[in-house]
Amino acid sequence: MSINLPANRRQFLGALGSSFGGLAMTDLLARDGMLSSSLHHAPKAKRVVQLFMAGAASHVDTFDYKPLLKKKDGDPWDPGETVELFQSKPGACFASPWEFRPYGQRGKMMSDIVAPLGDVVDDIAFVHNVEGKTGVHSQGTLLQTTGFNFPGFPSAGSWVSYALGSENENLPGFVVLPDHRGLASNGAKNWANAFLPADHQGTVIRPGNAEPIADLFPPKSGFINASNDQAGLDALGRLNAIHAMARPGDDRLAARVRSYELAAAMQLSATDALDVSREPEYIKNMYGLAPEGPGVNDAGIINEKAESEFFGRKCLVARRLLERGVRFVQVWSGNDNGFPRRNWDSHGDVKRDHAPLALGMSRGAAALIKDLKQRGLLEDTIILWTTEFGRMPCSQGSTGRDHNPFVFTNWLCGGGIKGGTYGESDEWGFKPLDRAHPTHVYDIHATLMHQLGIDHERLTVRNNGIDRRLTDVHGRVIEEMLA
Amino acid sequence: MLKRLDFCVVPVLLFGVLPAPVVAAPDFENEVAPILEQNCLSCHNSDDRKGNLVLSSKAEAFSFESGIVPGNPSSSLLINVVSGPDPEMPQKADSLSEEQVAVLRDWITAGAEWPEGRVLTDNPMRDLNWWSLLPIPEANSTGLSVRLNPVDAFIEAELREKGLRPVPEADAETLIRRVTYDLTGLPPTPEEVARFLDSKDWSVTVDRLLGSPAFGEKFAQHWLDVARYAETHGYDKDKPRNQAWPYRDYVIASFNEDKSFTRFVQEQVAGDVLFPGDPDGVRALGFLAAGPWDFIGHWEVGEGKLDGRIAKHLDRDEMVAAVFNAFQSTTVQCAQCHHHKFDPVRMEDYYRLHAVFAAVDRANRVYEGLPPAQQRRKNEVTSQINNLKREQASLTSDINRRVAAKASGIDRRLAELRERYGTGTELMPQYGYHSQISERPDTEKWVQIDIGKARAATEVRLMPAFDNYNNIGAGFGFPVRYRVEASNDANFENGARLLFDGSQEDQINPRKQTVRIGGDGRAFRYLRITATKLVERKQDYIFAIGEVEILNEGASENYALGAVVDAKDSIESGTRWARANLVDGIYFREVDNPEAAGEIADLEEQRRAIEQSFRTPKTKKRLAEISKLLTPLEAEQKKFPSGQLVYAAATHFPRGGRFMATEGKPRPIHLLHRGDVGSNGDRMFPGVPPLWNGVEPAFFEGDDSWDEGQARAELARYLTRQDNPLLWRSIANRIWQWVFGAPLVGTPNDFGRGGMEPSHPELLDFLAASLRDDPNQSIKSLVRLLVSSEAYRRSSKHQEDNAAIDDNNVYLWRANRRRLTAEEVRDSILASSGALDRRMGGPSFQDFIIEKPQHSPHYQYHLHDPNDHNSHRRSIYRFVVRSQPQPMLTTLDCADPSMSVPQRDESTTALQALTQWNHRFIEAMSLRMGERLQKEMTGSASEKIDGACRLVIGRDPSEKERAILLEHLEEHGEASLSRLLFNMNAFVYVD
Repeated sequence: MSINLPANRRQFLGALGSSFGGLAMTDLLARDGMLSSSLHHAPKAKRVVQLFMAGAASHVDTFDYKPLLKKKDGDPWDPGETVELFQSKPGACFASPWEFRPYGQRGKMMSDIVAPLGDVVDDIAFVHNVEGKTGVHSQGTLLQTTGFNFPGFPSAGSWVSYALGSENENLPGFVVLPDHRGLASNGAKNWANAFLPADHQGTVIRPGNAEPIADLFPPKSGFINASNDQAGLDALGRLNAIHAMARPGDDRLAARVRSYELAAAMQLSATDALDVSREPEYIKNMYGLAPEGPGVNDAGIINEKAESEFFGRKCLVARRLLERGVRFVQVWSGNDNGFPRRNWDSHGDVKRDHAPLALGMSRGAAALIKDLKQRGLLEDTIILWTTEFGRMPCSQGSTGRDHNPFVFTNWLCGGGIKGGTYGESDEWGFKPLDRAHPTHVYDIHATLMHQLGIDHERLTVRNNGIDRRLTDVHGRVIEEMLA
Repeated sequence: MLKRLDFCVVPVLLFGVLPAPVVAAPDFENEVAPILEQNCLSCHNSDDRKGNLVLSSKAEAFSFESGIVPGNPSSSLLINVVSGPDPEMPQKADSLSEEQVAVLRDWITAGAEWPEGRVLTDNPMRDLNWWSLLPIPEANSTGLSVRLNPVDAFIEAELREKGLRPVPEADAETLIRRVTYDLTGLPPTPEEVARFLDSKDWSVTVDRLLGSPAFGEKFAQHWLDVARYAETHGYDKDKPRNQAWPYRDYVIASFNEDKSFTRFVQEQVAGDVLFPGDPDGVRALGFLAAGPWDFIGHWEVGEGKLDGRIAKHLDRDEMVAAVFNAFQSTTVQCAQCHHHKFDPVRMEDYYRLHAVFAAVDRANRVYEGLPPAQQRRKNEVTSQINNLKREQASLTSDINRRVAAKASGIDRRLAELRERYGTGTELMPQYGYHSQISERPDTEKWVQIDIGKARAATEVRLMPAFDNYNNIGAGFGFPVRYRVEASNDANFENGARLLFDGSQEDQINPRKQTVRIGGDGRAFRYLRITATKLVERKQDYIFAIGEVEILNEGASENYALGAVVDAKDSIESGTRWARANLVDGIYFREVDNPEAAGEIADLEEQRRAIEQSFRTPKTKKRLAEISKLLTPLEAEQKKFPSGQLVYAAATHFPRGGRFMATEGKPRPIHLLHRGDVGSNGDRMFPGVPPLWNGVEPAFFEGDDSWDEGQARAELARYLTRQDNPLLWRSIANRIWQWVFGAPLVGTPNDFGRGGMEPSHPELLDFLAASLRDDPNQSIKSLVRLLVSSEAYRRSSKHQEDNAAIDDNNVYLWRANRRRLTAEEVRDSILASSGALDRRMGGPSFQDFIIEKPQHSPHYQYHLHDPNDHNSHRRSIYRFVVRSQPQPMLTTLDCADPSMSVPQRDESTTALQALTQWNHRFIEAMSLRMGERLQKEMTGSASEKIDGACRLVIGRDPSEKERAILLEHLEEHGEASLSRLLFNMNAFVYVD
């Protein structure tokens, strides 16, 4: 790790910088956002972490308590209207396989598989009446990540990075921690910058991987070594400076010189940010890291220990990135629909799949909330928990649940968000209780932007003739939720 | 801004204190309604309700407090917000004229009469008075200086007017490098540079480059960016499109052959109809299909469900938008939920375009190797087969319905058992045995089990396989006719005993049911199952079984478990299909509980008896007839040559999952209120937006049974009309951009009021008309004209005085220095290091390894060997993946194929520096380049440096540069030197 130290190079480039005199070369690489110096209003939050449950997490088995399902378990399910499901025909009423118990001062009912979040439940704002558009994974996922259910639009993280820039020029503004076992629906489209500048695309980091950031260091090579690597960068800086000085009036050339300096700085910063080895034991335990580390056994049936290690490590790395100034971190739980199943799409067996996933998730998420809080970071960091849609109150087969795009749960925490419940689903958890006033992803995004000091209607970019924004032509700030 | 009621605080401007004079009341219908409908209703309608003000009906309009106060215009907010020096309304359009305000004021003064029942709707005026919608005048160079290339004449006029003085011509080294990259995307070879420095013959050089096949490759990349071309579907389960590349080759060939632009456009929209028999007419339709496609929405959900219809609607929207953004630079897609806010495109126009594409889907189709007559016959045969199968299904479902009525008690109990004991749909992947695929149903295939020694058995159980391929699910591959034999001879030549003969007539597929065959109690060592009629899969035939058990009464042992399996042939693929899977104890079980399984078996037996009783002689006869008719048709279908396929817009293709071909029958299209698939408005028929005078919006007035091909042909003709003001301007602007690096209109996909206006309108029109009126409509001629201009050959040098006036070089007082595109960086590195493979066309190379192809393919770039010479072709031949784009090229700003990309980004980031310095491709090619330098440049170190620089940056190094490079070479060797060269600004930028 100690190769590529840019000590003398930094000095050299420093000297070079002064030789560029009046050139505003930093402009091109500036990490300032569009609104850095002109926020629409005073912000309550500075950064965001989005926890995404790929495959569609069941609200009725986690955060949305439906006693009626227990009462009617096994009875034919009749919500009084035709139900068209994604994969199956509606089965019988299906009670959650887990007990629900009260937590926190308000006695919020949550299931046993998300019990670890009980300690911090008073800080969490639940929205149980989120409504999607379709029950197709790809569309549902894009809708939650980009605000549109077809490709071609920037991720919420890209918008935030674009608006606010980065607080740390040596780290990307928008980082993505995908499930290492595979990318969820739409792959990299969920963190694409689309028509925003490329600097705002999500940078993929794979904690625990031998090469957590692509190309951060040279490959194992027959000819690259520490000495020629360093000498090469020095020579490159000099050559590119000569080239730039012969071509005044073009900031891009100097910016490219500087980009190599930033790259070197990123090698150090990222290495430091990803190194969890010196975290105290109690912190590692709190996040549920396994003693054997990322190599924990994940073969055969899905298991809680591995899920805790994978999700917990990502949450811990997220905290380290956030405290170093990364604006937006997107953390994924669950991959594509391969075999054996490693995501929340529990058509076949909710009990088998949801228990380890939810326990791993809630342990990591609870640790993240507590850890941010004890560092004083929770007050200006928003955590958003989401998924592409919910799951049905009736069974599929006898142990699974089909998709429910009609209602599902999101929750937010921190960043000036007030704990409580905002929006209920009906007695089945089938549709919003008040069907005329559901919550949409636009409202969640509008609220998020509001807390960051951004009026979601005013952050627009013209693309192919339309002033595009994260919230399309919709969105309402959920005022009730603001502290 | 009208926002709730808080606009009551808007200061009221009073224009006088005298009592209002008595005025004649303006006529509501003819004077007032048009103003409101054209200016207000797009937001203040009963759907959008902006600011809670709705002007649709009298009741709604008058319910807004102080909105309209009859007799008192000064107190009416309606008047206040549209009048005064800086009116608040309309918010996103021009203010009302004084006359219009006066009409509204007089109307209110006179009592604001609104006829009962009159409902206003958004009805924007079709305002064609916009630069891009005005006719393009004929190209006229009279009055321009004869001394000059017409391009320069236009440019110079503007420069003079702005007080700008163009910089001198660039030096020859710069020019040859610039024009070679711009026209071919590749670096000039040292020999080409030397030849040009020697001859300085510009026109010979330009002709050489335009004649090079690399010209088509370079310009095709520009067009493929606009055409959002990629080779996977995108969305979930991002499947590869292995037949997309013929479209890419079509585009390359079209530029190289200098195809007339009209033909190029027409082929891509309706080539199959307008140019029947010409392979290009079909290959070109890859354009319509090039964008993303929702596999799950179409294949797994299907149009029987709302989600599937939404997917199909989005799919058509994608196609419509692609055509209009690419050819017309018009954003028609804005009219999906409401009339276009800026441009004269109404919702009806937009949904007419949906009707044009109502019959096409994205699928593989034959473009060559199947003559039109055969193609027609093949479509006929396919259609007949489809009809017979539909009848077959309907007869069976009729029986099923009657069976269901009688067997309702049985079905309820079955459902209960399955509900209680069911294992769900998840499968263990070890499905069973699967034969090789056969082209004919009557190929005999067998699989046999060797239980080691002869043992007596009383029962043989066959468990059908379960594979959701094509939604077949239960009973997958189970033979239509078969026999089961036992023997002690492995070859079944001596003493074979027939245990079951199902080879005399077709057997009902047992689906989830275990087939139990009684043994004769005698011992045998080998059991053989021979399929005598194979089951159809998808245009082909197979034989598969999930599991076989051999049991003896009283003994619990299954002799077959783990036995040796042999077969005439088999597929051994991954975990799913293998001979050993036939006897591995893993098979699809509907339920886990053995008692429940037994009860289910009995109930199903009863049910089958009921089913038999409903098969009347008449239906049996008809079903037999159908089966008889199908056999020769299916045989005929097999005989057609398979032909070469392209992934394109298609109306005939084999069914897959719930994805079915329309066979040319258009889906009914309705105008959708607010773009909502659940809110049908009027039925819509094919047509186009009347974007200029003389266009008839509906194609087939009064005809509701139009031909889908004719509709696309009409659209193609509309696009290529001489009087279309958009098409010619759009392509002229693109060609300019591709040559000069920056377009004349800054928004190449949007020439509407939301876009930018041209910097040189006359020049743009001159170029547009030149192309349109050129009998050959030659793109190459246009390019030649542009690169022959002085403007193109200027230096890119900065000049303070000019920069003070025009810093962004809008008026072209210098050339634009540009960065190499992602593909150019990669191709140049391959070229310099000597690795570049110049083979053209054909299937794309893949610079990734696909893992888990059967479900959601993982495209693993890091597993690809950068030394794999198959991947050393130009980047235009790269297999473009949507969900997991190529990391190196993406970091270097290559286009995102999810959308039409008219202009590449040019970002400069730390991640780019990391990629270009550390990527394994750079490392591998540096090594290769190093070897080349060692082998080919045997002179002094200094000569070696010069040679390397000529290869990479197209010139000799300066003294200072040489000194630095020399020092590095001597200390660290050729490979490290090459890595350095590949990162230099002198390489990455073209002056």
